[in-house]
Formats: sequence, structure tokens, C-alpha cells
Amino acid sequence: MSEPVFKPNTVYVTYIASTPDKVWDAITKPEFTRQYFFGHSVEVEQRVGGRYVLRTADGRVHVQGRVMVCDPPRTLSITWLVEGLDDFRKLPECLVTFQIDALEGAVRLTMTEAHSWDIPDAILSGGRQGWPVILSSLKSLIETGKPIIVKMAPPKEMLEAVKQAVGE
Amino acid sequence: MDAVFKALADPSRRDLLDRLYAKNGQTLGELCERLDMTRQAVSKHLAVLEGANLVVSVRRGREKLHYLNPVPIHDIAERWIGKYERHRLQALSDLKKGLEEEQ
Repeated sequence: MSEPVFKPNTVYVTYIASTPDKVWDAITKPEFTRQYFFGHSVEVEQRVGGRYVLRTADGRVHVQGRVMVCDPPRTLSITWLVEGLDDFRKLPECLVTFQIDALEGAVRLTMTEAHSWDIPDAILSGGRQGWPVILSSLKSLIETGKPIIVKMAPPKEMLEAVKQAVGE
Repeated sequence: MDAVFKALADPSRRDLLDRLYAKNGQTLGELCERLDMTRQAVSKHLAVLEGANLVVSVRRGREKLHYLNPVPIHDIAERWIGKYERHRLQALSDLKKGLEEEQ
């Protein structure tokens, strides 16, 4: 079987007044992710094939994946499987990539969510609701020391669409 | 922030954002379909939207795909919408949607 081809479906960019090293730390260290990523702690083995986990505040695995590209402080690419929601683990893995580009006095952070299957928009809606908040909060945390706290529930349409996709 | 407001001030550019909202990751060619604008005009508008970081382009093989980037709009919303207003606005938005669906 040939390797699956991943096509980007969601691409978000934010500019942060910081350095690539600081942004890399914000993505790979739990003391930062806990503040801007809905309270989740990251654990990442920084090597290709290493394990990537996002854990909820009460210690459950919310997202799990493997490191596909690790080039600090520029590129972190991981497979992404949501374990914390019903039915999600039956979906094909998606590929999440953080790309950090150094500019003069700022950093361009690009988050890409890519998929190997024709994923319905309703399933993408969860990430499309969550990522802008996460990235804004990350930016705010790095620039001002304070994250943006937004409480959010997974969109209903997404949960229904996932149920439908895995049932087929 | 000025760049975002300037980019949004044009109806053709808002139309392009609507098209990307309906279908993300389109090429220039796809975006030009069924539009009363020349390819050059669309390309110019896309450059303004990219300059404002409302659109991000990604090279994929020989294609250049365009993606809607709502992060700057989220940043603007965060500036003026506080934590208390958010729930009220969400409730109003849900109410509006519900009423419109009933019609």
C-alpha cells in the first residue's frame, strides 16, 4: 500500500512578537500549553517517531500521536488522533504541523491541519472553532504573559458528523 | 489591524472570503470561476487579503491553494469583546439563527 497523501484543509497563521525558540517552547512544554490550550499539558518526545500526547488537567489522554518531523525551532509535524471524545479514535489520523518562520523582530507561526480522506466540513468545524482561539491565546501568552481564557464545548454538528462517519 | 479593516472594506474581497469560507483551499483558477472579475483583479484582491493575513496561501506541488485565516478577526474580537459579553453575544447569535431557521 502506498503512503496516504495528506491535503491541508485548515491553515492558520499568526504573527507573534517573539523569537522562534520561545514559540517552540510554547508548543512543546506543558507549563505553556496548560495556559493556552484549554488546560491541556503537552508531552512530546522530540525525535521522529516519538510520542506526542495532550493530557487534560485531570490526567486523561485527550490527543495522541507520533512525531513525523522534528526540526527545532522550525517545524513540528505530528499525527493527531483525538482520544478524548467518543468515536474520534475510529477516524483516520490527521496531520498537524506547526511551522515557525523567523522574521525581523517577529515570528510567523503557521498551523496546518491536513487529512488523507475527504473529511466533511462538519468534522473540521471543531478545529476551526478551536484553533483560532488557541493561537490567539498562545500569542497573547507569549507577548503579554497572559493567555486568553475562553470556555468552549465541541460543536454539536461535529460530534454528529463523526458518529456518522465512523458508522458508515 | 488597519490592514484587516482596509481589506474587509471592499465587497469583492469579502466575496472572496465568503467563497473560501464555503470551500477552503482553492486555487486562483477556482476562485475566478463564476466571477465578474478578471484574473488579475482577483489576484490583486488576494494579495491585499494575504497582506492583512486574512488569507494564507500554501504551495502544493504545482498548485497554490488559498485558505481563509480567521485568526486576525479573532484577535480583533478579543480586543473589544470581554468574557462577560461573549455568552450574551453567543445567546443572541443562537437566537437569531433559531428564528431565521423557523421562517
